[in-house]
Amino acid sequence: MISNFIVSLVTFFPLLGIVLLLFVDKEKAQIIKLVGFITSLATFVLSLHLYFHFDSQVAGFQFVQQFVWIGGLNISYHVGIDGLSLLMILLTTFLTPIALLGTWNSIERRIREYTMMILLLETGMLGVFASLDLFLFYVFWEAMLIPMYFIIGLWGGQDRVYAAVKFFLYTLFGSLLMLVAIIALGYFASTMRGGAFTTNLVELYSVASRLPLTLQLWMFLAFALSFAIKVPLFPFHTWLPDAHVQAPTAGSVILAGVLLKMGTYGFIRFCVPLFPDATIVIAPYISVLAVVGIVYGALVSIVQTDIKKLVAYSSVSHLGFVVLGIFAMTEEGMQGAIIQMVNHGLSTGALFLLVGMIYDRVHTRKISDFGGVAKLMPVFASFLMIISLSSIGLPGLNGFVGEFLILLGAFNSTLLDNHAFAAFAALGVILSAVYLLWMYQRVMFGPVREGGLYNGHTLTDLTRREIVALIPIVLFVVWIGVYPETFLSKSAEVAKRTVQLIETTQRGAPIRYADSPDSSREPLH
Amino acid sequence: MVEQILVSVSRFLPEVTLTVTFCVAILGGLIFHKHPKTVGYLAFIGILVSIFCAVQQLGVSESVFSGMISVDPFAVFFKILIGSVALIIIAFSFFSAEVLTTVRRMGEYFSLLVAMTLGMFLMAGASNLLMMVLALELTSLSSYILAGYTKEAADSSEASLKYILYGALSSGVMLYGVSILYGLTGATDFIGVNKALALGTTSHVSLLVATIFIIVGFGYKISAVPFHFWTPDVYEGAPITITAFLSVASKAAGFAMMIRFFKVTFIDTHMVGLPSGMWASVSGFEWNKLLAILSVLTMTLGNLVAVWQNNLKRLLAYSSIAHAGYMLMGVVILSDKGLAAVLIYFIVYLFMNLGAFLVVMMVANKTGSEDIDTYKGLGYRSPLVGVAMVIFFISLTGLPPTAGFIGKLYLFSALLDAKWIWLAVVGAINSVVSLYYYVRVLRNMFLRDPEGNAGPLVFPTPQLTLLVVLMIPTILFGLYFTPIVNFANASLLMFGIQ
Amino acid sequence: MLRNYLPIIMMMAVAALFGVVMGKINEFIGPKRPSEEKQSTYESGMEPIRTARERFSVKFYMVAMLFIVFDIEVVFLYPWAVSYKHLGVAGFATMFVFIAILLIGYFYVWKKGALEWD
Repeated sequence: MISNFIVSLVTFFPLLGIVLLLFVDKEKAQIIKLVGFITSLATFVLSLHLYFHFDSQVAGFQFVQQFVWIGGLNISYHVGIDGLSLLMILLTTFLTPIALLGTWNSIERRIREYTMMILLLETGMLGVFASLDLFLFYVFWEAMLIPMYFIIGLWGGQDRVYAAVKFFLYTLFGSLLMLVAIIALGYFASTMRGGAFTTNLVELYSVASRLPLTLQLWMFLAFALSFAIKVPLFPFHTWLPDAHVQAPTAGSVILAGVLLKMGTYGFIRFCVPLFPDATIVIAPYISVLAVVGIVYGALVSIVQTDIKKLVAYSSVSHLGFVVLGIFAMTEEGMQGAIIQMVNHGLSTGALFLLVGMIYDRVHTRKISDFGGVAKLMPVFASFLMIISLSSIGLPGLNGFVGEFLILLGAFNSTLLDNHAFAAFAALGVILSAVYLLWMYQRVMFGPVREGGLYNGHTLTDLTRREIVALIPIVLFVVWIGVYPETFLSKSAEVAKRTVQLIETTQRGAPIRYADSPDSSREPLH
Repeated sequence: MVEQILVSVSRFLPEVTLTVTFCVAILGGLIFHKHPKTVGYLAFIGILVSIFCAVQQLGVSESVFSGMISVDPFAVFFKILIGSVALIIIAFSFFSAEVLTTVRRMGEYFSLLVAMTLGMFLMAGASNLLMMVLALELTSLSSYILAGYTKEAADSSEASLKYILYGALSSGVMLYGVSILYGLTGATDFIGVNKALALGTTSHVSLLVATIFIIVGFGYKISAVPFHFWTPDVYEGAPITITAFLSVASKAAGFAMMIRFFKVTFIDTHMVGLPSGMWASVSGFEWNKLLAILSVLTMTLGNLVAVWQNNLKRLLAYSSIAHAGYMLMGVVILSDKGLAAVLIYFIVYLFMNLGAFLVVMMVANKTGSEDIDTYKGLGYRSPLVGVAMVIFFISLTGLPPTAGFIGKLYLFSALLDAKWIWLAVVGAINSVVSLYYYVRVLRNMFLRDPEGNAGPLVFPTPQLTLLVVLMIPTILFGLYFTPIVNFANASLLMFGIQ
Repeated sequence: MLRNYLPIIMMMAVAALFGVVMGKINEFIGPKRPSEEKQSTYESGMEPIRTARERFSVKFYMVAMLFIVFDIEVVFLYPWAVSYKHLGVAGFATMFVFIAILLIGYFYVWKKGALEWD
């Protein structure tokens, strides 16, 4: 019964918190924070229903809900999830309350508006992951920009305004081309099936893959540009360090934890299955960019003097892994990419939280300002160690599972057919150990600063609230590292389906591209 | 003959009502010179009645006064649109400090507003070359005076003078084009011209020259590049109510006249085998390519120049040039979908653009400045106004979930349907540029602190009410737009075309 | 076709000839007693050579405009009067409306003080 509308309920539940907040006096900060936290926690609890009732054996989408929205254009409100969306939705609902809890006292002004923006953002993100209609997807995709713009621009650091505008312009540029591609796809698809314009993803899956290669290439590129900016794939990453560094901690956590996943999610959900022929052609090129991103991001991370910037660039590197995993087009690679999306959300989210926590204490993030912190903050030091190691990919922690599967996938890939991809990517793993452990050493060890003062402030260890926020993340970091099957089983079906589609296309390709007349591939004009 | 005229008059009620309102407003200005707002109320009622008369004409499709004017769903659509804008502008005028200080001349202000509305009604229905020119002149003459209404301000007089000079030149050129076209075809009504052109005996060069000259007139009215030079100065100098009126209603009337002219005179009625909803132009002359170039120039220049503006009125002027460019895209497609998209865009544009102008006016009333720096911290000095401006600007950019997105969505989808992919891409890139300058204002409003010790701004309740009235459809039509789409689709029917 | 215009050309030629001939006759047979006043160009009592930037009182324009507006009215009245019987009551009503509109304009002009010189 509840399964009929649970997806919509989860998606729009945060809006309830916004409505409640409208009636709360804006001076009562504690109540505002509590309302925000409880709403997001309740959203998480609701999303657990999805987890427990999700059937990993079923192919295709579950918990589907659909009704007509705009009849004339065949646009419907159509939501539903498969294993991929399930993991992403859980990640979102899991990270939002943690981000709010972990940064309880970081925001000092306009707390009510801030909480409302975070909740609005959550709805936007959940909507993106749940949409099964391209139009609906686009609406959520864009609607998300506005709260994020304000979160960065209002509650961010020194250069927040510049960063916010840059973030907005970059992402909008990509997404408008995607809009053009969405509409074009709707029309081309309608010519193919002789029917009306549609943006229904399920219908388009069966139709779009029959489009001629040139069209597929163009549309793939239009979609991919938007996703590549979001990921961000090298060389479209320049907005990311600005946005991450300037955003407030909770913003960074959500940005790194969830928003970046939308790019990779978009690749798996839209680019690959809609345009399989184009994927085969483009995959090597994107993989090259991904590998360049892995190495470049890692190298740039090494030389950063600002901890937050270091973490930001490490995202470029880690997301490169995810993209490589996707375009290796092997089952292991795809599985690794999906689990790595979750991993990165947890680890990098936690890293940003930890950076935020220490920043709240001393108002500096420069590595050179620190030293000997481990002696003053032993609990903090342990958390940072665990999370750094998870990010590096220590066996037994979550990062290892994802990176291992991705490297394996890239190595075995018939589509890429070159071991250099895996070799260079492996270099990224080593470099990640260099920059994270070096950073750790410089911050944590060495002599304590004179009088225990850092930037004029004393350091105190984590509070109980902060520990409570971090423990669930650590729990999952270990869980995935030890027994990833819990999550891999959920996404197995999506990975298999996507990879098989590409494999059949690849095998069928020579025949379908021969000059032999084929009624289903007639030109469109 | 007489009977025919009487029948025509009965189909001419919206315009008759406006004429009567105009006369009443003139006399009212004389009688109520101590309470000039009364004239405003009279004008308001008159326009309301004329909209009501126009609504009665829904579904009618015929031609009156021997083919001078068409009464068809297309014209009625624009009459309702323009009438609504006029009503909102009169409401604006009651709040405008600029207008309210000129008590002595307020009667003329409202009567000229009615005259301008009348001119636009005629433009919407004009189906004869001469009627077209006359209606254009009536609108222009009224707007010249209104642009210079606050004559004590030097820039208002300057605006008026520039407007007259550009207007006179372009309507002169247009009239020349009209006379060439008449010479070529021997007819002044659109259908007659179309029949003559369909014979295919017309000289292509002369036809090209005539059409370009006529486009000059249209381009001036809708402020398309390169006929836009008057726009920024006039928009900046004129009282803000008039600026808002020109930017929406005048543009709508110009588009109505242009679309009718191009569609009715150039349609190839013998062409068969086209997909439904598409039509072809008479052979030998592709005016739509010309308009496509115009459209690209218009939106690109409008957007690029807007980036550098620091005066909000001027910024909105360039933004309205850019929007004219977007709407032109819908005209070049030669399909019903494209025209429907233009009509949808106009409905949406009405709310978002008037809303933005209302905010500018309210702020100018309080602070006496339209400078972008005035807006620093506005979001905190008056949260409701700040949020409203965000919504209007997000909508003007064309982002979901606002009505502006729907406008763009239908335009792009019509373009892609007709395989004008490059134009859609240019439009999309332009939207990104436009985001930059809209966001500049938003940035000042929310991300910067107010200058000095500026306290909260308190606005009168009626102004805020009107603001909310404009804000609701801007969001609502972004989420549920079936009614406006249906209305636009039903309004495509033009007299003289099957 | 151009033949049709022949009478007009002839008419113009006669008019031109008449003007030139009359002027010349005057020049030959008229008495000549020149003075400075007489030598200057005749400009309806205005000084012929002055600065071009001079401003006229707006009242002159007002009177000229009003004259044109109410003078043109007659142009419409004349054909109406000719075919009055043919048009009947409808024609009478139409002209009534026309005059009424003009009357409103007249009142407006009057009340606004455009008819007063000072």
